[in-house]
Amino acid sequence: MAAIAPERVRRGRRGWKRYPSRTFYLFVSPWVLGFALLTALPLGYAFAVSLTNFNGVSERWRWVGLRNYVELMSDTAAIDSLVRTLAFTAIAVPLTVIGGLALAVLLNQRLKAVGLFRTIFFLPSVVPVVAMAIMWKLIFNRDAGILNTILEKISVGPIAWLVDPYAFYALIILTLWGLGGGMVITLAALQGVPAELEEAALVDGANRWHVFRHITVPMISPVLLFQVVTGIIAALQIIIQPLLLAQTNQVGRVAEVPESTHLYMVQVYQEFFANNRYGYGSAMLWVFFLVILAITLLVQRTSRLWVHYTVDSEADR
Amino acid sequence: MSDRRMSRRHLLASSALTVGAAAATPLLGACSASSGRSGGTSGGGKVVTLTVMFKSDELTKEHIADFESRNPGIKINFIEYDGTRLNAMLASNEAPDFVRGAAVGSASGNAQELATALDPYLDKSSVLRKEHLLPVNDSFRWDGRRIGQGPFYGIVKDWSQDATLWYNRALFEEAKIEPLSTTEPVSYDELLEIAKKLTKKSGGKTQVYGLGVEWAWNLWAPISTMILQQGGRLYNADLTETDMTTPEALRALKWYVDFAQAGVGPTPLDPAPDGADLSLFLARRMAITQDGYWFGGNFVEESDEIKNNVAMAPAPVMGDKRISPTYVGWGAFIPAKAQHKDEAWKLMEYYMAGPPSEERAKSGWGIPALKSQMSLMPQQLPYQKQAYETQQAELQYAGQLPDSPYIGAAGAWNPVLDKHLQRAVKKEITVEAAGKAITDEVNKLLRQGKEQIG
Repeated sequence: MAAIAPERVRRGRRGWKRYPSRTFYLFVSPWVLGFALLTALPLGYAFAVSLTNFNGVSERWRWVGLRNYVELMSDTAAIDSLVRTLAFTAIAVPLTVIGGLALAVLLNQRLKAVGLFRTIFFLPSVVPVVAMAIMWKLIFNRDAGILNTILEKISVGPIAWLVDPYAFYALIILTLWGLGGGMVITLAALQGVPAELEEAALVDGANRWHVFRHITVPMISPVLLFQVVTGIIAALQIIIQPLLLAQTNQVGRVAEVPESTHLYMVQVYQEFFANNRYGYGSAMLWVFFLVILAITLLVQRTSRLWVHYTVDSEADR
Repeated sequence: MSDRRMSRRHLLASSALTVGAAAATPLLGACSASSGRSGGTSGGGKVVTLTVMFKSDELTKEHIADFESRNPGIKINFIEYDGTRLNAMLASNEAPDFVRGAAVGSASGNAQELATALDPYLDKSSVLRKEHLLPVNDSFRWDGRRIGQGPFYGIVKDWSQDATLWYNRALFEEAKIEPLSTTEPVSYDELLEIAKKLTKKSGGKTQVYGLGVEWAWNLWAPISTMILQQGGRLYNADLTETDMTTPEALRALKWYVDFAQAGVGPTPLDPAPDGADLSLFLARRMAITQDGYWFGGNFVEESDEIKNNVAMAPAPVMGDKRISPTYVGWGAFIPAKAQHKDEAWKLMEYYMAGPPSEERAKSGWGIPALKSQMSLMPQQLPYQKQAYETQQAELQYAGQLPDSPYIGAAGAWNPVLDKHLQRAVKKEITVEAAGKAITDEVNKLLRQGKEQIG
């Protein structure tokens, strides 16, 4: 069965002039102002700081040009943390999106008390991340944690979840705990798939898997793309969970974060607040911004191969 | 219609103008420092608002109300202590007037001229004078090159000699081991052997840790202390370089590696549930913890079983020189850019020599920083009396940790020490290689600090 052909949204200069301009600009101006003040301006400020040796408090700073960027290119601690972050993202995002999809498909069935199950699966994603991390830290505790107590019943462990090499898996598990948020979005998308398309396919002889593979997934692929993009950005920027899972009793301390969960933002945090290197930390953030931008663009470009839009091109003119 | 339309260029230009104006307003406002923050001076009959950044469980609402009632011309705008926010306030010329700060590690800030010299105030004061201050306050002194001499840039509120030990006698009895002496120090090697005997493990789990060293809190200070005890030094003469490959430094690093490999206490490779020793100690799952006098404040509200079994012992030694310094020494300073320094000094006098300081001294949560208040330390309970006597004997060994202005003490050292110690514990590198790596990384930070400060 052929997949639904993608239809591209029209873009280009023509699109700029097609709205009554004053109303359009009035409505977009809050966003434009917000973006300019809260995003563009701090970005510009951070770039300026990245060209200095500013330490956060001293007036004795000076311009150092691109030196921070040059140093970053050979900073093995930063590069290693970036590689770990990319690996974490490559594992966590597919698991999160696929897990959310699986749960959504499951809870899109006509089951008894399905609303209750939807609530139960969604609830973890509304727990604040700090509370969740502390809770999991207790669950993962080697000596008194409930996870090891359960594993002991089947003669496994005890496992030191919070130290290497297991700390990385603990972080992945912690991340998956919040997949109820993706589930809700995917569930909404699933309920928007026209039943007649699936019924027509079934009438044509397709089995359930074929319907899911060639009708359902393409129809919800824009929503999946959204989750992939936001998931990648969130995974790349993760910081609070590694800090909270570490031994430290104070979030600000980065010393005890295990190597496998010493991700890029933890390294940035260390440069800013342990070493007071605001200039270098800003350079790290700018490079990271470019990395995230590149990855996002890459995903957008490749999305043409697997994301299918059903936009009415006539109405879009 | 065309004149009613706004082009993209116009939109961008208008937005840029608006953004520029919005951005310029606070920037221009910053030129006039904190013009909108307070209401004049107390001398002119107006009320001065002091901006105070402290911890609310240390400078309480009751303290603030009492201070304000004694000083009708001063109101306090309280901000919970937050290091990041403090940095932002200092950098934006919106410095608080009175700030929580540590004596150990103050060299960097003082070298950057962030604090006010307090000597003129101390010289004039009738309640808080230089001769009242215990030597622990000398870590707040800075002469432009090093700590320990020159003007005072802060006052310690209370402190502890943080290498001392607290232990649970009941766990020693269970292990059939003689309790630690409360008068004579053990060596670090002896301490590790005792910890091994006290540790109880079963099925891959630890029931009782023999010794906690608060690894997650501070590595730099105890390792520095070990080096000093052996007669070594942490920095070169001008505080611009370190060498952690000296025999003294390697012995200290090796002790930490041995400690972690022995599995007798929490480390990053065997973390404590909440990152600190207290909960394990109170749960009778830790026999000895390396904490200062302040730790005894935790036991006042605990059960008799705890109160009747805890005891304090002197700091262990690693060499011939007995030294037992404070690792922090929390206190307060008045930022150089504070707007109301005279009023801030009144708060300093009240907080450091007035009723709050007496409360602190009586509470047992630390040693007072004033000579006159030593007698207020609690001795009602048997454990308090024992701790008091041990602490009094320990005072003569207080010493002082080195403090380079080019690096942020424990905050900068700890991540480096921890990273390479962990690698040595896991036998990925030797202790010597760890010492070399620590030396290289810390020297890099020192060079950067030197470049910054000049």
